[in-house]
Amino acid sequence: MSEKLANNSDASPLETVGTHDARSLAALFIPLALLGIALALVPLRLGDSRVLMGVAVLGLTYGCYTIGFNVIFGSTGQLFLCVGALAGIGGYGAAILADTAGLAIWASILLATLAAATIGGLLSYIAVRRSLGVIFTGIVTLIFSLAFEALTLGLGEWTGGDTGLSLRAGADTFLQERIPPYYLMLALLLSFLLIHGLLRRSHIGWAFRALRDNEVAAELAGVDVARYRVYAALIGAAMLGLAGSTYVFTEGRVSSTTFGFGEVDIVVLVMLAFGGIGSLFGPIAGALTFTIIDEALIQFGQLRYVAYGILVIALFLWMPRGILPTISSFWRRARGPKQNTVAKPIQSIE
Amino acid sequence: MIANILDGIVLGLQFGLLAAGLTLVYGLGGVLNLAYGQMAVISAIVITLALSAGVPVLLAVALGLFVGGLAGLILDLTILRPVYRLRGEPRVLLSLLLTLGVSFIIDGFLNWRYPLETLSLRIPGEAVEILGVPMRRGSLIASAITLVTFAALFGFFRYTSLGRAVRSVIQDQEGARLVGIYPHRMLRLILVLSGVLAGLVAVTRSMVTPVDAQSGLSITVFALIVTVVGGLGNVAGALLAGIILGIVSVIAANLIGTYISLIILLAAAALTILIRPAGLLGVKE
Repeated sequence: MSEKLANNSDASPLETVGTHDARSLAALFIPLALLGIALALVPLRLGDSRVLMGVAVLGLTYGCYTIGFNVIFGSTGQLFLCVGALAGIGGYGAAILADTAGLAIWASILLATLAAATIGGLLSYIAVRRSLGVIFTGIVTLIFSLAFEALTLGLGEWTGGDTGLSLRAGADTFLQERIPPYYLMLALLLSFLLIHGLLRRSHIGWAFRALRDNEVAAELAGVDVARYRVYAALIGAAMLGLAGSTYVFTEGRVSSTTFGFGEVDIVVLVMLAFGGIGSLFGPIAGALTFTIIDEALIQFGQLRYVAYGILVIALFLWMPRGILPTISSFWRRARGPKQNTVAKPIQSIE
Repeated sequence: MIANILDGIVLGLQFGLLAAGLTLVYGLGGVLNLAYGQMAVISAIVITLALSAGVPVLLAVALGLFVGGLAGLILDLTILRPVYRLRGEPRVLLSLLLTLGVSFIIDGFLNWRYPLETLSLRIPGEAVEILGVPMRRGSLIASAITLVTFAALFGFFRYTSLGRAVRSVIQDQEGARLVGIYPHRMLRLILVLSGVLAGLVAVTRSMVTPVDAQSGLSITVFALIVTVVGGLGNVAGALLAGIILGIVSVIAANLIGTYISLIILLAAAALTILIRPAGLLGVKE
């Protein structure tokens, strides 16, 4: 999508965000390590405040969601408007498994993650089978989101309805201390980034780019478009489920707004669009920026959304590819024509 | 059973009206307006404010519809201009994302400034019996307004030359331009019309359930679902889809229970989309 929207800018339509990565693994590990170190230092500043640490944990969780959504939407162009629902299958599933069924926390997280991945894969399979376009995939998954929300409200004896559940499992463990949840979510975030980074370098990532840039051409070149779409949905949905279920245990409670459409999906979409759809580190840039802005503007209450609205509009009008790719292509241009990578489809096939 | 079907039709007409404004703009302009529900909410708030200032009901409603149309015009003159430069799927996507931004702005402002204003136009009086079923006056008047609106829409598109001009643009933009019709003017007209329709949605809906600053998202979402089930860009399809979904929803609600009925409604919508991606009355491209 990012390329399609970029058609009106000066960027070549063939230029893709993914193909600029240097081939060496260092280009993946060095930024990842720097990001890890920078984020690991955050509790040194904020560690005294339980509230701020809560905000930071939530920010990391949204970062994880955004990576999962990026794997599905950014890599293969499937507009899954059920990020909250998939994370909620993980979250509610793990909460119910641990509290009602009495499973160990790790086992319930594992099972709930598998459930989220299965459903995500299934949704993708249906969308691929019926060859739904971007908009229709969006609508069907939006309907799924609404059905999930209705279910969580309706199945009151399982989910606690509007008030939600307070979890007994994990209540007196490290999961609900002040600092450890932060590092747990950070580890999750970094491993998601690593997985996505490695994925992009593998043949799967190559297939993703091919089918996103031109579906028909990819199919003709022998890429099984349907299969790779389902792969992306499986991986992304597993990430969402894992992040959602882990978050529920660190928070100690889950309610209908924890995974609501307005609370999760729209925010994640804005975060990804801000950071750069399809770029590796874009989701982190988006999630961090929005968490900080949101915390800074919290005193303005509902009026914050006016600022977000203006931001979203400005973003899509002037940098439809997102802030990171725009800055990096500006940077490349500034460094001179030698580094100026215009469309190089041949190199990316090598 | 008759009661179920009648209630279903009443609800279905609401659904149909909800989708009409959205589907027209999509059909004519390839624009998916996610700020549609917020336009309805703007009208609702304007009517509420006018009523509390002592303006007579009909005048207040007229004012609300006028402001709805104005919102459509402003959308056309500002945020949609860059959208009109694109074609095909990028056009739909950009329109969707930009109007999502607009919906944030409207939602944020209204929730901040008018969090408590609620429009509920209660129609007093006893229930009226139709085919032996007692029906609330509010629902009947809402349905009557909807039916008149649809009749006017069909009449406009079938019998007026302006309506035919609009349809010609839906069918073939280049062809319309060749015979001297300005597609952009038609589009502007339809955006104003869709704003007025959004205002009407607020009016009829408030006769049955209260409309407040938080209602925007759910109005947009349901309008979107009915629109897609009916076939994007198809007004008759929107009406048909609305009525079918309304009847399904009411019967499910009475047979099983409330939240399951919403799920059945959603499942019906999803199934229709999967079986007929072009919509009930849509034509495959």
